[in-house]
Formats: sequence, structure tokens, C-alpha cells
Amino acid sequence: MTPIRRTPRRTMLLLATGTVAALGVAACSGPADGGSASAGAEAEEFKFLVNTENTTIPDLLTSLSEGACSEQEAALPLSVETVPQTQLDQRLQLLAGQDALPAMYAAGNSPALTKELAENGQVLDFEQALADLGKEDAVLPAARSTIEALYGGFNVLPFQYNIEGIWYNETLFADNGIEPPATWDELVAAAQTLKDAGVVPFAASGEQGWPITRLISGYLFRDLGPDALQKVADGEAELTDPEYVAAAQAVADLGAAGFFSEGVGSIDYDTAFNQFTSGDAGMFYMGSWALSTFADPEANPIGADAVGFMPFPAVEGGAGDVDAYPSNVGLPMTFSAKAYGAGVDDWLGCLADSYGDASLTEANTISGFASTAQIEDPLAQQVQDTIAASDSSVLWFEALFGTQATTTSQTNAAQLLTGAISAEEFMSLVQADLDAE
Amino acid sequence: MKRIFEDRRTALLLLAPALLVYTLVMLVPVVWSLGYTLLDGNAVAGFQYTGFDNFARLADDPKVWQAFTFTLKYAVVITTGQVLLGYVLAVFYVFVLRRSGSVVRTLTFFPVVLPTVAVALLFQKMFEIAPQNGLVNSVLNALGMGSVDWFGSAGTAFFVLALMDIWRSMGFYAVLLYTGLLDIPEEVLESARMDGASGWRLVRQIVLPLSLPVLVSSLIFSINGTLKVFDSVLALTNGGPGLGTTPLTLYMFQTSFSFGDYGYGSTIALLLTLVCLVVTLAVFRSARRDVNA
Amino acid sequence: MTTLTAGATAAPARPAPRRRPSPRTAGRTLVRRSLIGLLLLVEVGPLLWLLLGSLKSQRDWLDNPTWSLPTSLQWGNYAEAWTTGNIAQYLQNSLVAVLPSLAMIIAFGVAAGFALEVLVWKGRGPVLLLFLAGIMVPGQMILLPLFNTYFRAGLTGTLWPLILTYTATGLPLTVFMMATYFRAVPREVFEAATLDGASVVRAFFSVAVPMVKNAIVTVGLVQFFFIWNDLLIALTFTTDSSLRTVQVGLLNFTGEFGATQYGPLFAAICINVLGLLAIYLFLNQRIMAGLTSGAVKG
Repeated sequence: MTPIRRTPRRTMLLLATGTVAALGVAACSGPADGGSASAGAEAEEFKFLVNTENTTIPDLLTSLSEGACSEQEAALPLSVETVPQTQLDQRLQLLAGQDALPAMYAAGNSPALTKELAENGQVLDFEQALADLGKEDAVLPAARSTIEALYGGFNVLPFQYNIEGIWYNETLFADNGIEPPATWDELVAAAQTLKDAGVVPFAASGEQGWPITRLISGYLFRDLGPDALQKVADGEAELTDPEYVAAAQAVADLGAAGFFSEGVGSIDYDTAFNQFTSGDAGMFYMGSWALSTFADPEANPIGADAVGFMPFPAVEGGAGDVDAYPSNVGLPMTFSAKAYGAGVDDWLGCLADSYGDASLTEANTISGFASTAQIEDPLAQQVQDTIAASDSSVLWFEALFGTQATTTSQTNAAQLLTGAISAEEFMSLVQADLDAE
Repeated sequence: MKRIFEDRRTALLLLAPALLVYTLVMLVPVVWSLGYTLLDGNAVAGFQYTGFDNFARLADDPKVWQAFTFTLKYAVVITTGQVLLGYVLAVFYVFVLRRSGSVVRTLTFFPVVLPTVAVALLFQKMFEIAPQNGLVNSVLNALGMGSVDWFGSAGTAFFVLALMDIWRSMGFYAVLLYTGLLDIPEEVLESARMDGASGWRLVRQIVLPLSLPVLVSSLIFSINGTLKVFDSVLALTNGGPGLGTTPLTLYMFQTSFSFGDYGYGSTIALLLTLVCLVVTLAVFRSARRDVNA
Repeated sequence: MTTLTAGATAAPARPAPRRRPSPRTAGRTLVRRSLIGLLLLVEVGPLLWLLLGSLKSQRDWLDNPTWSLPTSLQWGNYAEAWTTGNIAQYLQNSLVAVLPSLAMIIAFGVAAGFALEVLVWKGRGPVLLLFLAGIMVPGQMILLPLFNTYFRAGLTGTLWPLILTYTATGLPLTVFMMATYFRAVPREVFEAATLDGASVVRAFFSVAVPMVKNAIVTVGLVQFFFIWNDLLIALTFTTDSSLRTVQVGLLNFTGEFGATQYGPLFAAICINVLGLLAIYLFLNQRIMAGLTSGAVKG
């Protein structure tokens, strides 16, 4: 009897000891991890919450913390925390509800969320903050007006200042005798030529969804003019109106013609990028933040010289102007008003001074910060010139939508290409959410 | 004699820790959540009292009904699959494998203990089409068929989801039901065999009625889990494509946390709780009737 | 409710009648073998594919069919998964969150089950019902208030929210199951224990707990797999990447490796799978014994 009974007792003892030890670890891990991220006054770190997909900004900040901003780093070390983009809004909502947003954070997937945060005092007023630091001129006027138009005030920082368009593989175009298409019909013809040659015409991430809905908004702006989506936001037009459905239909037709690779819905951002940079795909709708990837020979086997950039093509008889580029500040970063304080303001000052140069020289990315650095990359130069020459810009499909309509639009976009839902169905799904807001 | 067990103080002492944690971490939040159903807003923007607006909205929301029907469809298909295949396996263990089956039972129990997310990643890769064909599409190609974009439409995505969840849980139900079958007296089976019953008839006329109680409790156990499915959907399809595979749990999660609509989210959670309650009671009642009959 | 014969029914103890050799035996064996083979292929096949995949190089993955064997064994995938994937950290977090919760669930649950089933007092019926209702409440219902409370209590940034929530959500089923077990034990057993003047508390520890030993193991295991696999609670309350559990970590994995690093991704999945399999195989006898002793039977 005895030997058998002893075993469970020893197991129990072991379990109990383990539990006590584990509880100890759990209790201690609190303060060691910096505890709850509340008031900025007693912060020990410069906390930065960013979406996992964005590696450019964290890398640049880390590099700055070792260079131009090393003083600030010594006083308040940078600590980067990542969250997948699809979970970002949820995290922001939870943290903001407790006034616990970190000192700097990615401002959400839709301008609507950023505005809501700003209205409730969670976002730093950069107009005031930069004026206090005497650095009003740190941000370019064009970038600032884009921000004010989108985010209801100077509420975010232009770590990126992008235009969007279609990047194409010049080698593949030359091999197949294709000129960069200037109209939608030419674009479709070029895609057909590529497909016939056994090349995937378009690389796109259906998992992200936005690279597809951008095609719809691009078509809308060219066809109906730059105020097409403003009208929808103002209630003067509906996405289910025939001229709007026509844009979704045009994109659905691209899918039906097999111009995207199979399983486009499960292709994520990196995979889409790889398809283009490995020469498997001929065209790629993307923002100019892609420049940093194109300039990296490791990440871009076809080489920067083989990449060309063209504006979104015109639609025959359309009211839009082909030179009106979609422009934005990417998924922008902002500062928490609650966590702003000593040390954090020094960081803002340093970023205002140094980010523009670092962005151009180290990441080959154009930011909305003033910079004196010279651009060496010809592709980046071309984009920079385009920005300088363009006097009008347009937004993107979901720019004026709320969170729910944005999610609906982006999660259903791939189905539009695969034919799982029709153009009418897609537009009415999104319109239903707009009506609910 | 009985008096010693009527010790209120001891009862309280033994019950206190469980009751305390349960009340503070479950009961109070549930009541709190019920309060949210009458409010609109979220923790960022603050709350306003809106009466029963959330309930009116619930009744009209086509997405809720889509999620609701998906939840029911999922629960019915998966519960049926789990318990049915589990039963078939159990019968297989008892009548075909007999005593030698311990290794087989252990191996078929394997998937039960695997982390959901790991299993979901495995199935994602198995059914992958881009950038590379996964195992399933490769096999299809080798057989001369085209690749299928499994996660591209709601129907095929649901198929993969169902396959995954049944695959990972049937071993569990098999062992559960196996024990029920073991309790059937050998003499009963023998005499039935003497009367000429064998194979399917033996199972239908003798084994099934005698194992009904354990079958019913497996059903209740299973349906309570499948109605609340969250982890496997989130990890495999994240509810997509569109809302194609979004159950109520996931829709509630998104409404509250992504769209910042706490009040409406709580209302959806309440709906789900009621569904669980009704279904469980229904199964209980019909089971009682069956067992007594 | 089947009577609890304290694990005696564990494993097929019933002697199977010897089958008489017959001419059909050979054919039957063949059918039997192929059925077993099919079953194992379905249940274990994907795992083998996983294991092989974790040892393939990126070239292998891209250039050869997915079912082919690895051309060379890339054990380095495991090293990479371990370091880049932060597996060690995630495993530690999972253990620190799960073990104390499990201990509390069992300790509190067994005591409550005893108090509700063996002891006689007014109001025990309603209290048992109160716990029963908890089985049906979906976790989503309690997330928002809890997030609020934990934050105000300064518990965010630690693993305490996970421990507390797991304990509370695990209790209803545990209390219910323990109460059913105690119901199956004849009352005389407890009465005899108190004959020599031992207190009820003593009777609980010296008689009741050992009697339901098998049940405790079963309930413990069922709860362990529930909590270990939890995603909802862990996803909501781990606001810091250093607090991620294995499940949440795995969910964010593809991102950390870029899209196409198949080998390390599979290796990381493998580490998780093998870890749990080891625990399972270690406890296999107990699980089967516990499950077959009538744990969840109505």
C-alpha cells in the first residue's frame, strides 16, 4: 500500500512547489516589465507601438537612437512594441479607454479612428507642441495640408509622405513590347499580353485588401473626378449608384480575366512584394514607401533599375486628371497627449530635426519632414519630382469611411477578384456600413 | 450521524475560495456587461444611455443574422461530425480492435492535445494555394485536377474548418464513448449474437440504445463548445473571406474591440449566451425523455 | 450516472472472448489492418508531414513537391525558430499562467464540489445552479468589464489577469464535475470516516480527496488543454509582447518570419506540438484511466 500512495503525494508536492514558484515569477514580472503603462510623467521608456508589418520606422528610430538622438535615448530609452496590423485598432481602443496609450503609436487603420482619439484628448496637438519646441518649420507644408485634410487637424506625423501608383517591371515590359499604359483599356491590354506570355500581370495582397480597393478608387477618381468619394461621404451619392458599381465591375473584370495569381485572398503583403521583386509579376500597385525595398538589392533581385513607376491610368471620357496622385502619410504615427511630458518632448524635437534626413539617406523613403539631404537613387528622385510637380491629389477608397466600412471593404476585396461576390454585392455591403454610421 | 455534515461553517470555508473568485471574475462582469447593453459608445468616447436601441439594432442587423446562422451551421455540422465519427471509432475500438487497440487509441488521441493555433497553421499550409501549392493541391494536381483556392470562398473555407475541427476532436469523443460501450455487459452482446444479430443490426438494436446516455452527454459537451467556437476560426480563417466564416463570438469580438462599440458588442454576447442556454436546455430535456422512454 | 469504481474499469479490463479460428479470419485480419492503417494515416499523417517539413531547406520547399522527403536535414530550422521565434519566452509565459490557474481550479473546485454535494446546508441547490449557469456564459461576455478592472487594479503588464480569468472560467465545469463524482461515492464512506471523531475537514482531506484522485486527474487534464489552448483571453489581456503565451505568439509568427520561411515556421509549430505530445505521452495512462473511469459520463 505505501509505495503506491507515496507517488501522488510527491507529485502533489512538486506541483505545489512549482505553483508557488510560478506565482512568484508572475508577481515579480510586473514591476520588472515597467508595470502598467500609465502616466507619462513617471515613464522610464519612450514606448512606441507600431504595426508588425512596418519595419522601416522602427529600424530608423533604432538607428537614430544610436546616432542623432543618443542623448534622448540615454534619458528615456526607446522601446518598440509591435502588433499585427489587423489587431491594431482593437489594441488602440483598449489602451485609449484606460488612458494608457504609449508615448508614440501607429494611429489606427482609418482616419476615423484617429479623429475619434483626437476628439477625446488622446492625441498630441503637433501645432502647439512643435511651436513650443520652436520647430514649426520641421514639417513640409504639403504634407501638413494632407494631414489636416485627412485627420481633422495636425494630429499625426508624416514619417512617410507617399504617392501611390503602379510600379512595373521594365524588363518584362520591354521583352513583351509593352509601353507603360496611359489608359485603363491599355492597362487591360498590357495585362493580357503579360498573361499570354506566362507572367502574372498584377501582384496584390488580397489578405490586406487595400491594394485591391485602391484600384476601385483609382478608377473612380479618373472616371468621376477627384470628389467622387467626398460625394459618397456627404451622402450626395451612393456606392450602389451605377457609375460607382462600374468601377468595382472594372476591377472584378481584371480578376475574372485571371490577371491576379491564384489564391489572391491568401496572399499577404510580403508575398505580394516578393512576387513583384522576384520578377514573377509584371505590375504592382503600391505606395512610394516601397522605394526602400526596391533600393535594397537583397530584397529586390530584379534590381532598382528594372522598376518603373507610372500614374494610375486615365479612364476614357472620364472627368479625372491623371496627374492627381493619391497621396497620404502612410499608416501614420502619432504621440499620446496623456503620455507627453519631460523626455518625450525631447524625442519629438530630435525626430523633427533628424528624421527627414535619416529617412532619405538610410531608408530611401520620402518623409514629410524637411530635409537637406541629397537623393542619389534615380527612382526616388523621379517620385520626389512627381510630388513636387503635382498640384492636386486624391485620397484612397476608405479614407472617409468609418472603421466598420473600412474593415468590410478590405476583407471583401479579394472576393471581388475571385468572383465570389459581384460588384453590386461588394458595393452594397460597404454602403450598408456607411449607412449605419 | 447526519449532523456532522450539516456544518454550515465548514461548508462556507470550503466553498468560499471558489465562490469568491467565481463571483468577482465571472458573475459581477456578466451583470456589468448586461448594463452595457443599454449604453452606446466605448471607453474612448464615453457612454450614453440609449435604452433598448441596441436590441432594435440587433433585430435588424443582417450581419448578426449571418453570424448567427453560421454559428448554428457550425455547431450542427461539427457536433454531428465529432460525435458521429467518435462513435464509429469507439465501435471500431470495441468490436474490431478489442484489447490490442491501446496503441491505436493513443495515436488517434494525438490531435486532441495539439495547440489550436499550431493545428490551424498546419491546415493553412496543407490547403495553401499561394505562393505555393500545399499538400492537398499538390495531390489534386498529381491526380490531374486543378488547384482549389480553399480559403477563397465561404463554402470551401467552411469545409476546411469543419475538417480541421472534426479531425482534432474525434479522438477525444472516441475515448469518451468507448468507455460507455465498455459498460455494456458482454452477456447481452453474446445472447444477441446467439439470436443471429451481427454487424449493423447488433449495433443498431443493442449497442446504440444501451449507450444512449453517454452519447447524449457527449452531445451536450460538444454543442456547448461548438456554439462558442472562437480559437480555431480566428486562427484558420479569421472569419473570412468577408464574413463568410464569422461566428457570433468573433463578430462580437470585432464589434467591441475593433469597431469600439461596447454596448452593441455586449448585446451580441447576450444573444450568444441565450442561444447556449436554450440549446443546452433543449438537449437536456429531449435527452431525459429519450432515456426515460 | 455510472457508479465510480475508482479507476477499476480503467483500460479494457473485461476479458475479451477468444475468437475461434475460422476460414474467414485471414480476410478479416486484412480488412482490420487496412482500417487501422487508414485511421493512422488520417490522424498521424499530417503530423508526419509537419515533422518532415520542419527539416526541409527553403530550396526544398520551393523547388520540390510538398510531399517529397527533405534532401538534407536542416536542424538549423529549430535553432532559428527557438531564437527568432521567442519560443522560450512564450513557453515560460504559458507555464507561468497555466500552472497556478490549474492548481487553483482544482483546489477550489474539489473543495466546492465537496461542500455542495456531501455537506448538507440550506441553499446549496441554488449555489450549484449558479455555478452551472457559468458553463454556458461565453468568455466574450466578461472581457470588457475585466479589462477595465484589471487595468484599474494595476494588473495589466503582468500575467495575473490571465491567471485570475482562467481560474474563474475553469471553475464552473470543475465544480459541476466534482459534485457529480462525489454524488457517486456512497455516503457511508464519509460517515465512517467521521465515526472516530474526525472533523469534516479531516474527512475531506483524508478520505474524499484520495477517493476522487482519478477524477482530479481527468478534470485537471481537460482544464489544462482548455487553458493551454486559450486564445480569446490571452489575446485580450497580453498588452505587452513580452507577455505573449505560446498561442498568441504562434498567431503572430508568420509576420515575424516574413511570409515564406517555411522551415523555421514548421519547426516552431513542431516544437509546440512535440512539447504537448511529450506531456501527453507521459500522462497517457492516467488520461485514459481517468477518462474511462466515468468522468464525463452522464
